[in-house]
Amino acid sequence: MRTGHYKESVGGLIALSDSKAVWAWTVVLLAALVAAPFLVGAYSLTLMVSALIAVIGAVGLNLLTGTTGLISLGQAGFLAVGAYTNAILLTDYHMPVWVGLPAAGIAGALVSIVVGIPSLRLKGLYLAITTLAFAFIINHIILYAEHVTHGPNGVFVTGAKLFGFGLQRGPALYYLALTLAVATIFAALNLLRTRVGRAWIAIRDHDIAARVMGIDLVRYKLLAFVVSSFIVAVAGALLSLQIRFVNIDVFALILSIEALAIIILGGLGSVAGAVLGAVFLSYLPEAIRLVLSAVIDPASPLYANYVYEIRGIANGLVIVLFLRFKPDGLIGFWRDARKYWSNWPLAY
Amino acid sequence: MKIATSVLAAALLSATAAWAGDPGVSDTEIKIGDVNIMTGPAAFVGRGVSLGSKIAAAEINAAGGINDRKIKILTEDDGYIPSRSFQALTKLLDEDGIFALNGTSGTANVLAMMPLITENNLPTVVTTAPSALIYKPVRPSVFTFGASYSDAFYAQLKYIHDHSEPNNPVYGVIRQDDDFGQEVEAGYERAVKEFGVKDGIRLRFKKGTSNFAAEMAQMKQAGVNVLANGGIFAGAANILSEARKLDMNLQSADVWSEGIPASAKLAAPAGYDYTVGDYVALSGPAVEKFLAMAKAFTTADELAGVSRYTFVTYVGLKSLAHAMRECGKELTRACTIEKLRQTKNLDTGGLSAPVSYDNPQQLAGTEVAVYQLHAKDVTFHELVGFKKY
Amino acid sequence: MDFLALLVSTGLVSGAAYGLIAMGFALIYKSTGVVNFAQGELVMLTAYVSFSLANALGLSFIPLLIVTIPIAMAIGLALERLIIRPMLGEPVFSIVMATVGLAVILRGIVVLIWGSEPLNFPAGLPTKVISIVGVPFYPAQLCLLGALALVTFCAWLFLRFTRLGMAMRAVAANETAALLMGVSVDRIHAAAWMLSAAIAAIAGMLFAINFKLAPDMWFQGLKSFPAVILGGLDSVIGASLAGLIIGVIENLAQGYLGEGMREIAGFVVIIVVLMVRPYGLFGSVDIERV
Repeated sequence: MRTGHYKESVGGLIALSDSKAVWAWTVVLLAALVAAPFLVGAYSLTLMVSALIAVIGAVGLNLLTGTTGLISLGQAGFLAVGAYTNAILLTDYHMPVWVGLPAAGIAGALVSIVVGIPSLRLKGLYLAITTLAFAFIINHIILYAEHVTHGPNGVFVTGAKLFGFGLQRGPALYYLALTLAVATIFAALNLLRTRVGRAWIAIRDHDIAARVMGIDLVRYKLLAFVVSSFIVAVAGALLSLQIRFVNIDVFALILSIEALAIIILGGLGSVAGAVLGAVFLSYLPEAIRLVLSAVIDPASPLYANYVYEIRGIANGLVIVLFLRFKPDGLIGFWRDARKYWSNWPLAY
Repeated sequence: MKIATSVLAAALLSATAAWAGDPGVSDTEIKIGDVNIMTGPAAFVGRGVSLGSKIAAAEINAAGGINDRKIKILTEDDGYIPSRSFQALTKLLDEDGIFALNGTSGTANVLAMMPLITENNLPTVVTTAPSALIYKPVRPSVFTFGASYSDAFYAQLKYIHDHSEPNNPVYGVIRQDDDFGQEVEAGYERAVKEFGVKDGIRLRFKKGTSNFAAEMAQMKQAGVNVLANGGIFAGAANILSEARKLDMNLQSADVWSEGIPASAKLAAPAGYDYTVGDYVALSGPAVEKFLAMAKAFTTADELAGVSRYTFVTYVGLKSLAHAMRECGKELTRACTIEKLRQTKNLDTGGLSAPVSYDNPQQLAGTEVAVYQLHAKDVTFHELVGFKKY
Repeated sequence: MDFLALLVSTGLVSGAAYGLIAMGFALIYKSTGVVNFAQGELVMLTAYVSFSLANALGLSFIPLLIVTIPIAMAIGLALERLIIRPMLGEPVFSIVMATVGLAVILRGIVVLIWGSEPLNFPAGLPTKVISIVGVPFYPAQLCLLGALALVTFCAWLFLRFTRLGMAMRAVAANETAALLMGVSVDRIHAAAWMLSAAIAAIAGMLFAINFKLAPDMWFQGLKSFPAVILGGLDSVIGASLAGLIIGVIENLAQGYLGEGMREIAGFVVIIVVLMVRPYGLFGSVDIERV
């Protein structure tokens, strides 16, 4: 493992990674992901698509909360905006998917401008509450704007096709989700290496000092909001493609809280952390189900009556334990491992 | 010898080839899926629903099963969240390999699962959410058992209009702001138009509301004395409690969710003898017979959880089993669907009107019976037997 | 009865519930800087606990209150010691997320122990309607209003005149300075959680008696947020008054505008308040603006 860096050019300094090992492993991972539909069953594939959608959403939220330090509790609202835009365009206006997805993103971005402008001068907690309020209001608007959104009846997504492949279940949707996820991750990593990314990090660390150094706070905060909402809305559109029926029940407030839990569990501020957190929380219910069925006999009445509650409690317990014992998040495990390897036999 | 072995081999091959096609069917068992609300605030509904499948399966298995195959019920939780229903059904289909689906939660949940159901031609009986959205348009493998909320309310309002209408009737409706509420209002509208009575006020509220003070104040202001109460569980109880506080003299027509013991206990203190319209029995000899039968297959705790939600899935699985039995040894989804379509006047022991799916919408059980609560001793009494409206 | 009088009176009742829950939020935020997202669940848990006590011991209202409050305080102390205390020193954001995880756990525990059916909780209060100035009230509703008044008054006395209260205000103003002055910050945090749990118990009992006892009661915690913001996150008295205001605004919005406005009226108020006067009506004026 690397113990130091020796760069000789500017290109070397700003490259994503100059380690051949990193690139090699990345290629292996991508190859495995591309081959996945041929190796795993349909249910596992559905789980993977859900995990990929969570990854996209988490990376988007991380840009806002982890990198810029703006806490948002309104993610469920932006997911809803993206999902509904995509669903309405595909079903009511018969647009193709490559129009629906970007349109969903743009819709999310526009809504975020409306949400962001009143709240941008506030800090931390107050911003969280404003976004929470907006999530409620967006929900309300979707419910009452019946002529556009079909109100409580929801919208079916039918006939989604991309390049002639039907996007109902199966490999086509998986590859679309995989492509978008990889693109999002690369975009986020690149964004963080530009002046925009550095401005965001400065705002998070000390916004008054950043202002003193000439970073226009309103402009960059709004940009963070808009970019993050674009990404989250695209994730929402993908969600609508997967479950093929959108309705406000799908976008309950709990989604916003789960999104925050994902990036905190993964490790705040790190794109890799967001990815790890998303994958971890997506598979947590399955993992708990496996653990429980191994420990408790499925036929016993205790299991039958209480398994669902126990799973719910286990979810919350995992979050609390992680925050208590590993506040760095999952990426902290990796960093610890790397440090240990690099410094051994010394401690630091 | 050679001829004998080849004949034997041919017989064996043809026997296995018969049900090599459809998943969920083996020599000894048939797997039936159930996607329900097992967690969350509405879990008591889902557990009642699951109980229906369980009791029906136990009863059928105790009598020898279906053509020597036992029914196995596989339950998955969806917590009333549509995307989770989709995931749960995916798991049931791909990992567990179910043959048919009996036991669903809400309308949105069934609609979320619909693409999977149609793709797999999965025989499905919908009994808890008989919404028009499910059978209009009709899906080939989906069979709906139940009356619409619209008919249930019309039936109750008709009874009130015919028997106990106050002198200057002013009708009012309060309902949820979703598709379920729309149906309640549709039944109300039909009644008000037909009877030519005064339509006092129509109010909507958001799901989960517990504070109806403003709404009931508006009702009082409009002078409503016949109420179509579209609230459910604690909401309905709060509406009536608020009405009692305002000293309103009301006849209340309620949703069938108010026919379960828990809801009746909540609402009875307000002192209104409200009516309930339902497509399964709430009291009477049929219910007594069911409880006596179910005792053998349930624990005491479970027996206490039996409600109208149990009855609907019980009837659903019985109708499904009836069709599967008609298919004999060669049990396929296509055959089951065919037999379900031919089901006519299947007797359910008085728990509901006879089940007939032989119509274009594959819809049965649209007959509604009207019951009334006696608030003093929290019991239900039948006013009108099963009738079509 | 006058329509307006009805709306205002019932608005005050539901506002009282908001106010009590909001006071719990404000108390914890004031002393520890943490927004306790598990406050709604704490209200729910203590309400269920008092329900079980009422059934087991057959108590009427006042004795039930007297028995429930110490138990609630014990629960609050336990939660603080188990979850919050070990996380001292972590960024506030992490502690807030820990309360979110705690909320999920409490919700599961409530359904595990008490089931998911909505329950009837009369708690020995009479159900005969009382009429005041021509406006009808249930005794339970009057109890709720009375409880808010009493708790607010006690909170004011506590914060103003007792040592513990003044210590809390000191910790809220500047934790390090308070430490230097000999205040045991650790004890203050524990006390804040205990008192907040006690208020939550009162809020939970009265809310359950008036509206419903069901495992979705925790949502009231979220709905009380507008009251917390309007009052100012760190003003306990402000939270109580703001609760009443929000309750009345919600009812008026629903009564005169309809269309489900009650649900979002509170949140619209939040947005307006945060744009115009972020520290609320009574909060301390030190929110940073950039």
